[in-house]
Amino acid sequence: MAGGLSLYAEGKSLLHRAHPLTKGALTLSAIAIAFIAPSIGWVLGIGVILLVLVTAAGVLRRLLAVAAAILLPITLLLLAVQGFANANNRTVAFALGPIVYYREGLAIAALAALRIACLVCATFLFSFTTRPADISEALMQRGLSTRMGYVVQSALQIIPQTLDMAGRIQDAQRARGLETEGSLPRRARAYLPLMLPLVLSSLVATQERAMALEVRGFGLPVKRVARFEFADSPLQRVLRWVLIGAVPAAIAARLAGWR
Amino acid sequence: MGILNAFKVRMNTLAIVLIPVCIAIDWAGHAVASTLKLPLFLDSIGTVLGGLLAGPWVGGIAGLITNFISSGTVDPIAAPYSIISLAIGIAAGIGGYYGWHKTWPGRIALYVLIVLVASIGSTPLNINLYAGQSGVPLGDAVYASLVKSGWPTWLAAYIDEATGDIPDKLITVVVATLIYFGLPNRYRALFSVWRRQSGEPEPAPASSV
Amino acid sequence: MALSSTSLVFENVSYAYEEAAREAVSDISLSIAVGEWVGVTGPTNAGKSTLCLLAMGLAPHFFGGRLKGRVVVLEKDSRELSVIQRSAEVGLLFQNPFTQISGARERVDDEVGFGPECHGVSRLEVAARVEEAMALVGISQLAARHPMDLSGGQLQRLALAGLLAMRPKLLLLDEPTSQLDPAGTAAIFDVLAGLHASGITIVMVEHRLETLCELCPRVVAMVAGRIIADGPPDDVFNREAVQLRVGSPVFTRLAREAGLSPPWPVRLRDATAVFGRRLA
Repeated sequence: MAGGLSLYAEGKSLLHRAHPLTKGALTLSAIAIAFIAPSIGWVLGIGVILLVLVTAAGVLRRLLAVAAAILLPITLLLLAVQGFANANNRTVAFALGPIVYYREGLAIAALAALRIACLVCATFLFSFTTRPADISEALMQRGLSTRMGYVVQSALQIIPQTLDMAGRIQDAQRARGLETEGSLPRRARAYLPLMLPLVLSSLVATQERAMALEVRGFGLPVKRVARFEFADSPLQRVLRWVLIGAVPAAIAARLAGWR
Repeated sequence: MGILNAFKVRMNTLAIVLIPVCIAIDWAGHAVASTLKLPLFLDSIGTVLGGLLAGPWVGGIAGLITNFISSGTVDPIAAPYSIISLAIGIAAGIGGYYGWHKTWPGRIALYVLIVLVASIGSTPLNINLYAGQSGVPLGDAVYASLVKSGWPTWLAAYIDEATGDIPDKLITVVVATLIYFGLPNRYRALFSVWRRQSGEPEPAPASSV
Repeated sequence: MALSSTSLVFENVSYAYEEAAREAVSDISLSIAVGEWVGVTGPTNAGKSTLCLLAMGLAPHFFGGRLKGRVVVLEKDSRELSVIQRSAEVGLLFQNPFTQISGARERVDDEVGFGPECHGVSRLEVAARVEEAMALVGISQLAARHPMDLSGGQLQRLALAGLLAMRPKLLLLDEPTSQLDPAGTAAIFDVLAGLHASGITIVMVEHRLETLCELCPRVVAMVAGRIIADGPPDDVFNREAVQLRVGSPVFTRLAREAGLSPPWPVRLRDATAVFGRRLA
């Protein structure tokens, strides 16, 4: 259904109420520092901070559900491959039959998995607490052009509509005898008959939409009027600068020998 | 220089409206591949099509925003790879400018270029993010056996990534080209944003996005 | 405002689309005064939609192509103003309600405000105009709904509200009800009658001749890119050329079949009067 893409759910927490740019700075800064930080201990620390914030925002359960689905397979894959094959492997950890696992590779895999976990948590912390329309509005108030703002807003609307239509086309083509199950070549052959009608109809609609937008003055070089104001505070402004400043600081520390 | 002319396009309203549609095609391509349980991503058909139809900016922006939106909703790990999608869209746009999709040697060149952009671009990201793996079980199995037999990590990482990109981008380019030629003629003419005269590339003032 | 002031003037206008072999309209001359409600009709490829696109400036600004002659809209030559610049004064409603909404807004009222916001109208003013436009087309109760959850008829009224929020002086409509059910159609025409009464100039392409005759005090009949008749509906549809090449409203056909002598009625109320006399 229309608008079905967003993960946002209404809430009253501090994070829900924070300025979108503050949350954006928090997310980007946490991710960057997780990848700059030199060791598992530091990355774990960032992860704990993120989990505290997620809990405070009241979205811990939802986050664990979606994050686990992403993180579990990738973590297992990393441990399985790096523990077995990594250029640094020296110390045997254990053996599964003929396959020998090494400590160095497992540690590298664990660090990578933890960093990815921080990336996932920080991103979902943002998505769960921020209305998509607020992101584009906040960016437009900071100088993103109205035309690019339109692209983002329109994409967020059009994706669920297109996926919806994809489902309907699939039902229709199946009713007409298109095989969407069975062997791989058979399934692959169904790809084009499902994609073409979907894509052609949406492309053809662009012409009239472009005309209709021009008729409404879209693209006029006028100064944009903000659609609404975000609550902001001096504290948040300072916080944003601190979060952004922390990234070059972490890089500098790393260069100066942070281990 | 010739290649820079590919970037000199009119970003008119039609080009702007085309971008969200390309983004939706990226999503639909991936969704349909998933429902058919195809072992490929196929998530850049719209990006390539946008580049072919309306140049490097439309293709590039479509790729970038496709990844931004999927990172914010279904797959945060897609975020760093936004830069690759941007590059794929730009590469397709340059191919579109030279009309590569219209001849067989050109189509092969377009395919090879996109595979190279995707695989070479993703490798350093994989090394920093996944300790060299691509996160796809088949490619990672190749990676493990190569590293085990003493290949350098970067080369194994590249081959791991390429084993995914070679089939994925083949289908992507084929489907994008088929859609391109499935469009009514007048739409293709309408989307053409490059100003040219008598077959010669004619530079036009690029307007800001 | 002087009675003689014109809203839309075509002076010997010919236009061909890019790479098209033949002209879509040929040597058209037309003058529409402020406050008129003009219906345009004709068979397929008559050039009706092109007429709207020319008046809006989409031809040639959007489509390219070759334009000869002069199109003067609200006293300004169409070559001088882009569609976007013109959008504050002229509105064009298309057939398909789905492609006309911006696709970027999640609420009906936000969608109505899209145009004024593009024009940099202040927030308070936007709110006032949105409320007014929604009331005019009767969708105020839908303000908080998602545009894609509306029916076709509601969506077309939303598209019209989006144009009215710009407070246009000239409204062009290209078969605005061709994709709507009878109730949706009636709702749109009610709105148009109100707009006409308030002094807005309306040019409407419509292929249902009965509707056209009922609503429009003036009708332009086009065939193959040329105007073949222009005048009050009773006059236009009593011409043989129009009857042959465009068709006749059902009441006219009925009177002809019944063996009445011309001029034949074109509207329900006239037909009722004529047949009422015969039956009496």
